[in-house]
Amino acid sequence: MENAMVRVEGLQKSFWDESRGEVRAVDGIDFDCRPGEIFGLLGANGAGKTTTLRMLATILKPTGGRASLNGHDVLAEPEAVRRSLGFFSASTALYPRLTGRETLEFFARINQYPPDRVAERVDSLIDRFGIAEYANARVEKLSSGMKQKISIARTIAHDPPILIFDEPTVGLDVMAAIEMQRVVGELRDEGKTIIFSTHIMSEAEKLCDRIGIIHRGRILALGTLDEHRQATGQHYLEDIFVHYVAATGAGGGAAAAIGAPGPGESGQ
Amino acid sequence: MNWQDVWILYRRELRSAFRERTIVVNSILMPVFLYPVMMWVMFTGLMFVSGLADRAHSRVVLLDAPRNHPVLMDTLENRENVELRDQISADSAVSLIRIGELDALVEFAPPGAEGDKLADNFQVAISYDRAVERSRRASDRIEAIVDNYREEWVDSEATELGIAGAEREQFRIVQENVSSDEQMGALLLGMMIPLFLVLMVALGCFIPAIDSTAGERERSTWETLMTVSASRLSVVTAKYLYVATVGIMAGVLNVTAVFLSLGAIMAPLLAEVGDQFQFTLPFLALPVMIVAAISLALFFAAAMMILASFARSFKDGQAMVTPVYWLALLPIVLGQQTDQTLTPMIAAIPVANAAMMIRDAINGVFLWPLMAETLVVLLVMVALCLMLARMVLQFEDLLMGSFDGSFWRFAKERLLNRNGKKTAGAKQGVV
Repeated sequence: MENAMVRVEGLQKSFWDESRGEVRAVDGIDFDCRPGEIFGLLGANGAGKTTTLRMLATILKPTGGRASLNGHDVLAEPEAVRRSLGFFSASTALYPRLTGRETLEFFARINQYPPDRVAERVDSLIDRFGIAEYANARVEKLSSGMKQKISIARTIAHDPPILIFDEPTVGLDVMAAIEMQRVVGELRDEGKTIIFSTHIMSEAEKLCDRIGIIHRGRILALGTLDEHRQATGQHYLEDIFVHYVAATGAGGGAAAAIGAPGPGESGQ
Repeated sequence: MNWQDVWILYRRELRSAFRERTIVVNSILMPVFLYPVMMWVMFTGLMFVSGLADRAHSRVVLLDAPRNHPVLMDTLENRENVELRDQISADSAVSLIRIGELDALVEFAPPGAEGDKLADNFQVAISYDRAVERSRRASDRIEAIVDNYREEWVDSEATELGIAGAEREQFRIVQENVSSDEQMGALLLGMMIPLFLVLMVALGCFIPAIDSTAGERERSTWETLMTVSASRLSVVTAKYLYVATVGIMAGVLNVTAVFLSLGAIMAPLLAEVGDQFQFTLPFLALPVMIVAAISLALFFAAAMMILASFARSFKDGQAMVTPVYWLALLPIVLGQQTDQTLTPMIAAIPVANAAMMIRDAINGVFLWPLMAETLVVLLVMVALCLMLARMVLQFEDLLMGSFDGSFWRFAKERLLNRNGKKTAGAKQGVV
């Protein structure tokens, strides 16, 4: 793909586990993402979604393959990668003793947003997310819904072109999850490149322009929802997912059987 | 490393820290108030208890009181804090002393063979229970009364024999303290300030070291921090400087508070009991203390952060860092040897050397080559700790909170490679 903002080629990650020995958490995956696209990584818990996203965010170092974001290689230019990236997950909490405003200022500054425009940027984020009423209260005093808004705002505080949302709706109530989906949709409309991981099928169906189905560290299939439907003959994503996973269970190299994409390819 | 990033991260750490009650209490309030107040309370308490003890009566039984010494008997009978009990047998008296119902038995007896040559001579045997404070005090009181009476009696006997007082004044011991009030003050300061400075710098580093590592992990802000564009080195440097800053602040605040409270609280209290102290410091002692506080803080901050970085929770962190705190206190015992100054050997012992250097400076002793050795030793320790920290942080599974929060498990598995693991994921440079 010519204008890919995110490129992943043969990415691998192995861990040592005392009881299981060497574990391949991510086993040579390939995908890429365009500007203004939500790319969904759909998989069960333990499929390798978070490890993949942590490698893209340079939190973990790949043990094989390559990845680049906004033209910056994750190994060679980790700081430039992180500057181009906003990372949101259930385990990226806020500093409880800072106020919402201080939080946004801090993340804008530390991610190299132009210093003379930080105040203006913070004000615009406060307006956008409707957090003016409690922007000067310490985060520890806020409700989970308020914290969620500040958390999304801090993810985009430096206006990065690429956003990663790792299971962002886990633990949220229905209304908060819907609000989160609305914000992600808005960000896509603004031209951001978004990688959205989830194990909730309806969420992927509703939000993602393309979906990669990941299982045991490998992408089994990748494409739009319609492409998945055509390939499997199933209508609902849940059934599509089960179809792919079952094919893997039958043995014989599931990825090859369903035509998983090679590096740089966009779908099936 | 980008110093602009370090500054932003450092400010964030400090801002958060000063809003955390535990850190404010440990690093500011305790240094400023706890030890000065504790000193005052202890000293006042001791004086109060001592006053109570002085007023308590000593219950005494006299046996075979000498008839030719009525003045002594009058003194014993009329002494306000001595209560003479009815005569009983010596054995019964001893039994009562053992069960705490009597404080002392005073038995008068004829003198031994040599003493027989003097008319009206006698000897006194005092039985008391040394394990009981009240009984011990009763013995001291009786001894003091008899001593005093003997002086007066010998004096009057000598006068009757025509021996002038001056002729008997032979081989007397007269003690004179040539120390000035300032020197006495320096002695006390030299005993207290090094101890408090080391203690408070270590205590000041303790909570921030855990809060900035294990605390981040417990609050789930660690991963948030790992995704900012600042380099890992900038993040660690900012945290390290923050921990050291709080340690220095705690040390300097405490020394100032102790110094001021010694002058304002202790000096008047000591003057009441007859001891004169004046608390002043040589001008050069201040920079020496500040340099020592900085060196100690850099050392403690590095050592504590290395261990705390393995912990998965604040509680784990406390358990891991506490031994460092206590180990830090061991060497300063050397600093309590008041007749010792800095030697090449002591200057090579981390922490003890700083404590001794401070004490020397308070006493106006500046052994510059040994002070330089002290600083070099401390800075070498800091460098070693930072090298270890750098090595440890290369293991990304440490950043993700592995090894069950145990430094020893990490050392066994990764540094010593005990399990013989050579996997791709075993040692990953942090990106």
